[in-house]
Amino acid sequence: MIDPVTRIEGHAKISLHLDEEGHVEEAYFHVTQFRGFEKFCEGRPFYEMPSLMARICGICPVSHLIASAKACDAILAVRIPEGAVRLRRVLNLAQILQSHALSFFYLSVPDLLLGMDSDPATRNVFGVMEANPAMAKDGIRLRQFGQQIIEWLAGKRIHPAWVVPGGVGSPLTAENRDRILAGIPEALAIATRALDWFKNEMERFREEIRSFANFPTLFMGLVGEDGGLEHYSGKLRFLDAGGHIVADYADTAYDNYLAEIAHPWSYLKTSFYKPLGYPDGVYRVGPLARLNIVDGIGTPRASQEWAEFRDLDRGAVLSSFYYHYARLIEILYALEKIEQLLHHPDALDSHVRAHASVNNTEGIGVSEAPRGTLMHHYKVDRDGLVAWANLIIATGHNNAAMNRGVLQVARHFVHGNKLTEGMLNRVEAVIRTFDPCLSCSTHADGRLALEVELRSHQGELLDVCHTR
Amino acid sequence: MPHTLNTLIIGYGNALRGDDGAGYIAAELLRDRIHRPETEILSQPQLLPELMEPISRASRVIFIDASVSGRAGKVHRIPLRPAPACARVTHHATPEALLAGAQSLYGHTPEATLYTIPGRNFEVGQELTPSVRRAVNQLVATLERELA
Repeated sequence: MIDPVTRIEGHAKISLHLDEEGHVEEAYFHVTQFRGFEKFCEGRPFYEMPSLMARICGICPVSHLIASAKACDAILAVRIPEGAVRLRRVLNLAQILQSHALSFFYLSVPDLLLGMDSDPATRNVFGVMEANPAMAKDGIRLRQFGQQIIEWLAGKRIHPAWVVPGGVGSPLTAENRDRILAGIPEALAIATRALDWFKNEMERFREEIRSFANFPTLFMGLVGEDGGLEHYSGKLRFLDAGGHIVADYADTAYDNYLAEIAHPWSYLKTSFYKPLGYPDGVYRVGPLARLNIVDGIGTPRASQEWAEFRDLDRGAVLSSFYYHYARLIEILYALEKIEQLLHHPDALDSHVRAHASVNNTEGIGVSEAPRGTLMHHYKVDRDGLVAWANLIIATGHNNAAMNRGVLQVARHFVHGNKLTEGMLNRVEAVIRTFDPCLSCSTHADGRLALEVELRSHQGELLDVCHTR
Repeated sequence: MPHTLNTLIIGYGNALRGDDGAGYIAAELLRDRIHRPETEILSQPQLLPELMEPISRASRVIFIDASVSGRAGKVHRIPLRPAPACARVTHHATPEALLAGAQSLYGHTPEATLYTIPGRNFEVGQELTPSVRRAVNQLVATLERELA
């Protein structure tokens, strides 16, 4: 058993079950925390929901703010001003930028730079600082820039209350627009350096590429009306492993094509594509899915990188190891897109909020969070008090694929009755490629931990590894 | 690199977990009271590696944190020295590790002090225990006088 899993957002354990010959037969990824935000928001006024829901997570509060505010917009039945849409987009992209920088530079570069088998005592961001200070500084600077954009727009970096039902709290100032634009060239240079470095290093990870959740699944995410990359609003696209579009749906009709099941070993629910049932309807979301499902990117430098990325496979790019690659391309895209949005002639438009009272008793908000598609669905009474809420979070969408990924990598790397550090880290690393946020997905607290348990075919505990 | 900050104050903790928010709340109170361009005050849910950069620009840094040990209502002052992280630190860090990182990445680490405020109640909630509230107010008043 690997308990706790480290360098992920949340608390989890993995159990590996051996067959009679000592080969890994089954693997389970258990999420062992529970909070239940959906229950305790019942009875609260709907306009409190964005601020309440942002408390689910300290890493991606902005993502919850945006999906929640969109659900509230639907309850108000307002079309929010274009200026507010642009500013929400900038905020969402800044969130993706800072979260991807954290995932790549702080959580994954230790494995990629120092090696999967390196000393775990130094396999962390401080080890990266020793081995490659320039890269560590790049990571710190990029995340700082994303956080800074959030603060300049929304007043504070964590749990800002600027995104509100009907729009945003205040327009962008010329000073803040210019400060953001001034930082873009440096951030683009960092993103380009990281991409070049990663592409050069990929050759060293052929075995991981082959075995890190590298199997056919569906992929899901938002696309624009033109099929382009989209993080704020659009239609939901399903794509199969061969690269064929399965269906495009209205995002608010998710109930018609998604279903969830609960497993006894985990508080994390598992989503699947209803028409194919479970487990055939397993799908993945997040950066890898987004770059697989789109017809184009829409910004020049990210488009070039995307074209190269899509050449990795004939159909969809299947190995979850490439989540890292996709994350870096999305960083580049986010920076280019923020620049485009801030150069819009009406970027400083003062009309950024629409006002109304309760006009609908139900609202659904869908957006792309760093880790994948985020859905907030609320029902309210005539006074606007929340009667019911359902949240479907990226890590829930990815849960089945993560479980299968753990099994695949365990079968490849775990042999015998004893767990080694290299085995342990690779089993963790496949989960890390998805960048799961267990706090979000169970709406639970955010300790970092994983435990791996190795059990014989008779259920006897053979070995346990804890990482902290 | 020139020191662009005289003093950097970092108060940290979870303001939704009772007394754990003592450091965070102290920093928020100080931000309301101290308005000097050479003093920067940050309130953070936790310490993060990106703090190394502003730390390296300061000539003095003050950390304020809650503590699970000690008598509630007291304030302890601890001088800090840089110490590289030896555990599996991920995206949160210790003050000593941030000081070491500021030195190794940016070439400077400032004089540093940690004030800890022992708490009693760390359950979900936004209220400080009265004795912890008094300790926070006392520390805020002391630092305000010191930095005036």
